[in-house]
Amino acid sequence: MLSTVPLNAGRRRVFGSVFSPSPAHSLKSDNPVASFESTDSTSTVKADSQSNSFATIGGSTDSASADAEILDQARVAAAEFLSVPNLGFEPLYAHRDTDGSELLKEWNRLAPPSKESAEALEYLMRTSPWTLFEWYGNDIRKHFLINFRSGLTKLLASPEKEDLLRTIVACLQLARRIYLAPVLHFLLPLTPHQGGYLAQLQRAFHTVVSYSLPWREISPLLASELTRDAVVILGIDTLDETFDAEMSEDEMEVERTYSVSYKDWKEETPEAREHMMAEGEDHRVTIARDRLLAFLNGLQLVGLGADKAQKVFAEVMNILMGDFIHAAYAGEWEAPSSVPQHLGQWIENVYARLAVQVLSVIHSEIESGTMDVSFGDVEKWRTVGTARLGMLRVSELFDVVVDWPASSGAVEDLRHFVTQTRPRAYVTHWFSLNLQQRLLHPGASTVEILQVYISVIRAFHLLDPNGVLLDRIARPIRRYLRDRDDTVKVIVSGLLADPAAVEGPVTSDTLVELASELTRLNQHSMQSKNSEIDFDDMNWLPDPVDAAPDYRKSKSADVIDSLVSLFDSKETFVKEMQTLLADRLIQKRRHYDQETTVLELLKVRFGDSALQACEVMLKDLTDSRRLDHAVRNDQIVSGNLTAEDTQLHAKILSRFFWPEFQDQEFKVPDEITAIQESYASCFEKRKDSRKLMWHNALGQVTVELEFENHSFVDEVTTWQATVIYAFQDSPPDSPATKSIPELAEQLQMTPPLVRSACLFWVSKRVLHEVTRDTFEVIEILEDEHAPDSDSDSEAGEADAAAAAEAAAAAAAKESAEAAAMEKMNVHWQFIVGMLTNQGPMALARIIMMLKIAVPGGFPFSDEELREFLGGMVTKGKLEIVNGGNYKIVH
Amino acid sequence: MDYNMEDTQNPVEAQKVAQRNDTQSVTKRLQAELMQLMLSPSPGISAFPDADGNLLAWTATITGPTETPYEGLTLKLSFKFPNDYPYSPPTVLFKTPIYHPNVDFSGRICLDILKDKWSAVYNVSSVLLSLQSLLGEPNNASPLNAQAAELWDSNQEEFKRHVLARHQDLDDE
Repeated sequence: MLSTVPLNAGRRRVFGSVFSPSPAHSLKSDNPVASFESTDSTSTVKADSQSNSFATIGGSTDSASADAEILDQARVAAAEFLSVPNLGFEPLYAHRDTDGSELLKEWNRLAPPSKESAEALEYLMRTSPWTLFEWYGNDIRKHFLINFRSGLTKLLASPEKEDLLRTIVACLQLARRIYLAPVLHFLLPLTPHQGGYLAQLQRAFHTVVSYSLPWREISPLLASELTRDAVVILGIDTLDETFDAEMSEDEMEVERTYSVSYKDWKEETPEAREHMMAEGEDHRVTIARDRLLAFLNGLQLVGLGADKAQKVFAEVMNILMGDFIHAAYAGEWEAPSSVPQHLGQWIENVYARLAVQVLSVIHSEIESGTMDVSFGDVEKWRTVGTARLGMLRVSELFDVVVDWPASSGAVEDLRHFVTQTRPRAYVTHWFSLNLQQRLLHPGASTVEILQVYISVIRAFHLLDPNGVLLDRIARPIRRYLRDRDDTVKVIVSGLLADPAAVEGPVTSDTLVELASELTRLNQHSMQSKNSEIDFDDMNWLPDPVDAAPDYRKSKSADVIDSLVSLFDSKETFVKEMQTLLADRLIQKRRHYDQETTVLELLKVRFGDSALQACEVMLKDLTDSRRLDHAVRNDQIVSGNLTAEDTQLHAKILSRFFWPEFQDQEFKVPDEITAIQESYASCFEKRKDSRKLMWHNALGQVTVELEFENHSFVDEVTTWQATVIYAFQDSPPDSPATKSIPELAEQLQMTPPLVRSACLFWVSKRVLHEVTRDTFEVIEILEDEHAPDSDSDSEAGEADAAAAAEAAAAAAAKESAEAAAMEKMNVHWQFIVGMLTNQGPMALARIIMMLKIAVPGGFPFSDEELREFLGGMVTKGKLEIVNGGNYKIVH
Repeated sequence: MDYNMEDTQNPVEAQKVAQRNDTQSVTKRLQAELMQLMLSPSPGISAFPDADGNLLAWTATITGPTETPYEGLTLKLSFKFPNDYPYSPPTVLFKTPIYHPNVDFSGRICLDILKDKWSAVYNVSSVLLSLQSLLGEPNNASPLNAQAAELWDSNQEEFKRHVLARHQDLDDE
């Protein structure tokens, strides 16, 4: 623009000779600028010499040269009137908070033109108004660049960003007024085309403003400015937990009618809900709204509005939508969920309203006539809102599932989201990731994982009844569960748990839920178990498009089926079932209704044949009760038994159908052996060709002990009874004393078991340990020292009980280890065969081969095998040759 | 064209299915045999599947019976089971070089139960036991190695020398 200045002199001459008042010809003219150039200094050059009266000559246009003369004079006069003093930026900055009238006065912008000026202006307006405004527009640019630009740039660079934009806008507004005030007051009234001229000047102003203030720096300021007020208007700030609780409580009474909080909204009646967000706006919100709109108005006036501001506004609103959804709905999982309705209302009444208001202020200049926000836009916002809500729910999904069923509302929300393929993929992808991070790691117990899996099944069944999503989610869980050793055990014990306990506090180690699920499901389960192709099924639907190839539609959220089908065969499951059932049936109980029920329910599911062994086990128990009765009667009839004798009841188990018990063999007292023999003979009389084999370690004994000043009656295990019985046959004069090796020898019991039994009796205050591994009967319980050292003795008792427990655990561990060793021996044969025939092998290869070759897989971990092989190396059966390969020693 | 495809496809498919079923039953049978071998091992014989994982190839080891020229020697054999095992005999070869009237220099064995006298009741363990006894009592009526057959009858000492000369331990291959 400035580069054109040198041309001006020439142009002026041209215009002087061929003057035309038509603005069309002089649009590009920069004459006035040139004329104005001499007025660089702050003191305006007085056009004294041209003090002719324009009024007299104004009308006469008889000669071109005279006209040019007059025009020049008029221009100089107008320039004098319109020129802005070059006072720099400071006064502007100082007056930014005032309404500016003072400054305007100071700068002499409100004074009416002198008579000559007025005449000159009138003349110009009459003859070449466009030239005048063009000229003045350039003048404005020039002045702005000289005076304000550097100041504004400095302002923009200041580190204090708070309210910076407002300051700038205030300054710019003031500048605008300075420039336009005389025009508005004195020039425009002279012409009918006010709008056009004003727009021209404004455009000039806007151009120079946006030239001086790079948008790159303005937009973040604008964004933060918008965010600050929009947060209040959209109600996001009130949703924060940190929001002053007392204040909101006080306000609650008064301002109850207006709230965007979902919680408040839910408590209202449906009619009240309608109005909650539409009416009775909060005071603070009104203030914020007014403030924002006023600010934006200013922004628009100084030329920083329009398209670019709209873009920033859109970005801000986009972010705030997410913020609102996060603040309002995070953790709101109750069913039935009305979050989508609430969100819809919020978008319509609050969000869209703000958008309409803001956009009507910062409308773009080009198409200001059209409606800025259409109904379609609101619809789009709703869609976006739903998607955002979906994302929120997906991010929360793991916690939602953990909280199931209290959180079913969240899943309802999610249903609106997973209607298309991509959101579905998104859900499964994120949830799988979450699962990997939070659940499927060694830190989580199997019970927890199963619990979550059950919740996942239920939640996803609600989310997607077709089960495709569940199918995708469940795969990694199932794969992981299969690798866990105790999965079967947990499931089975869960099935056998007492459903009545469900009501109670959740226990951490059993899945009681399964038991109740089993009973519940049975009522409506099996009818849909028909074959895959049912030609009469009028409700048949093809598999969903995003289903996996081997996807199988499951009609119901059958938790138990999902868990049981974890394993390739039912056998694993049934085997574990047998073991657990055996443990439970062995215990002394009146009836086994629970087990019977569970078994019946499982039979429906698995078929009779699979659970035949379990059924036999149960039948054994009923049979043996009857048999036991009969045998006793026989014994009494034959006179072998009197009522005073020790009573022996037996459970007769069909060995073939029962799992193997880990037995601790020992010798029972002779008396018991005698009774056992007589019992067995009676039994064999009744049941031909059957033989009784006694499992001495299993069973309970009611023991009555009489001491000199105390007694003991309780039910204990057989081995504990056997040990205490062994103390009886010592000489009667002194308290019986026995050592552990002695007892172990006598009873043919393993020393740890003996020790465990002795410690048990110590805890019952029947024995005490005289020296290490030597125990003595307490004949006289010293009560007298009890009162003063009550707590002491109690603590001692507790200690002893704990010790007994530990010893029992040690004994159990030993027998378990022995059993494991027994199992390992079979594998040892495999290893020997392998190493003999295939040559030396590394551990990894051995394991791989064992996994292939051993039927039923290899149940030990790599570590266990390494240990075992290490043991074999020590025993000299193996040696380690080059590179850690194991080699058999011939 | 489509018809053509269908025509060719179906038999292949059927064949595949049949084959798979076969393989399954063979695998099952071999697994059972392996289990039996492991649970009740006979002294002097041992066998185990190769590492390729399909159980159709095994390696077996027999130790030479006492009071034979093979005493104290360890001999390795390879078993290849056909898909219709046990209705066809496995292919058994000596991997260890052996000097024996009924075994040729590439390890092929002339034993009736591995040929026409095969029956489905035989199994790995019985084959190995037969081979073990064959070491002590060669069938010189139909020798694969005529020199060995002759030496066996004429000069036991020389025979044993040949046996030891030919033998190599394969263990540390």
